[in-house]
Amino acid sequence: MTSRIPAGMRYYIGAEARLRRTVEDVAMSVFQAWNYEEVITPSVDYYDLFEQGMGQREAQRGFRFTDNDGRLLALRPDVTSSVARMAATLLAERPRPLRFCYAAPVFRQQTQSHAEWRRENTQLGCELIGTGGKPADLEVLRLAAEILSRLNLQSHYCITINNVEIFNGVAAHLNLGESAREQLRRLIDTRETAELQRFLKNYDSAEARSFSQPTQLTGKRNVIQAARNTITNTRSLAALESLEELWTEVESLGFENSFEIDLGDVSSLDYYTGLSLKIFVHGAGASVGRGGRYDGLTGSFGRAEPAVGFVLNLDALTEVLGRNIAQER
Amino acid sequence: MITIAIGKGRMQESALALLARAGIRLNDGVNSRRLAMMDETGQYRFIFVKPADVPVYVEHGIADCGIVGRDVLLESEADLLLPLDLGISRCRIVVAAADANAMTNVQGMIRVATKYAQIARAHFGARGIPVEIIQLSGSVELAPALGLADMIVDLVETGVTLRENGLTVVEEIAESTGRLVVNRASYQLKSVEVARLVSVLEAVV
Repeated sequence: MTSRIPAGMRYYIGAEARLRRTVEDVAMSVFQAWNYEEVITPSVDYYDLFEQGMGQREAQRGFRFTDNDGRLLALRPDVTSSVARMAATLLAERPRPLRFCYAAPVFRQQTQSHAEWRRENTQLGCELIGTGGKPADLEVLRLAAEILSRLNLQSHYCITINNVEIFNGVAAHLNLGESAREQLRRLIDTRETAELQRFLKNYDSAEARSFSQPTQLTGKRNVIQAARNTITNTRSLAALESLEELWTEVESLGFENSFEIDLGDVSSLDYYTGLSLKIFVHGAGASVGRGGRYDGLTGSFGRAEPAVGFVLNLDALTEVLGRNIAQER
Repeated sequence: MITIAIGKGRMQESALALLARAGIRLNDGVNSRRLAMMDETGQYRFIFVKPADVPVYVEHGIADCGIVGRDVLLESEADLLLPLDLGISRCRIVVAAADANAMTNVQGMIRVATKYAQIARAHFGARGIPVEIIQLSGSVELAPALGLADMIVDLVETGVTLRENGLTVVEEIAESTGRLVVNRASYQLKSVEVARLVSVLEAVV
């Protein structure tokens, strides 16, 4: 018998386990107060499901094994794929919108030695399926904000919002091929200013300047105004418009100090189709949650409809809150 | 307050000189042996760590920012933001060998000695050349002369060390300069402070 624990796995004991359960209970009670029904999805499913749901690059981080008949299975690397399939098949006839929430462990292989070293994480998540537009986007933002403030993280968190169609419109306008588009995406994602400007110099268009100053991509309403000075394509302008409308709602709720616009959040372009959001908390070195609109996903299971959701990482939140409690003592 | 990790050694002096030009000066003398210290205004805390550890501290968010060479970043593959090329400690990452035509003359598996295993593997891998990587932690230039390896992948500033050990540059892999790196969460949570640091440094680069 070995005394070792596999990399990226851990125990929670006593007070820490209790804290973790409290965090889970807080999130689930907020979801349920907003009429989100709990769903428990299979822990093991066909690998194809996740490849279809998350794209190959993410899905292949899953732990894989084979079924008796030789088909490839995976320990679920996400929950959303499974919920989307359920909505499109099992619940195809149910009246819309559907609201689902879950607290479930997901399993992903990680590059060793990186900050996100865990291979088992519990996701606290929700999906709002069958309704689109600003009210649905706003609903999930309000949910995320409410959970964080119920966890006493009020004024300790920042939620960044973006609309991925702004980048997509510019990339299409510049007529970028697949590899050039990926290069531009990567340079924006890592904010490599000098390399970005060198890359964009090849494109003789005002649009090329819209992403050339990474520091101007992050901020409040001013970010949208600055983007309008260079962007002319209708696809990006429509996305800017809807982002601005969402920001106006954020302001009218009095949330503008905890929210930020980040046009440079282009990390998951293949997955999201509109709103994308990331959640940061003081004391955590990486984002503790993410989400967005994924209108393309349920279509791949045969019933195309709008959908939006987000997940919070229970383990990362527990770690931050545990450290905060220790510091207060 | 934001914490800045600086790699000790080669980069340290030029990084501190650059910061001083930007008006950010250490509270203690530069020659102090303390590993953590504040600047005069109390806005910045500096920690001095091994260069290879700078991406680790920044990726975990223990340091908000770091100053480190591109060579170290390429080797670590850490997930960081890279807003500024500081242009300091300019050098090249090269493949060097005793024989200038080594790439064509070596038969079969090439043995490569290096401190930069990731960079070497990626460089040869991208070209479909099978290599055996021999990981060393210093004095890499000795390896070909002693028969440990056919080639080396190493950092070159002037080329003097290479020449003195009878090696010539066969290929250049990348140029390396000091970079400002930023933790992804700090970039959002301390956006005002980080933007201020980026802009004062940008003005003196």
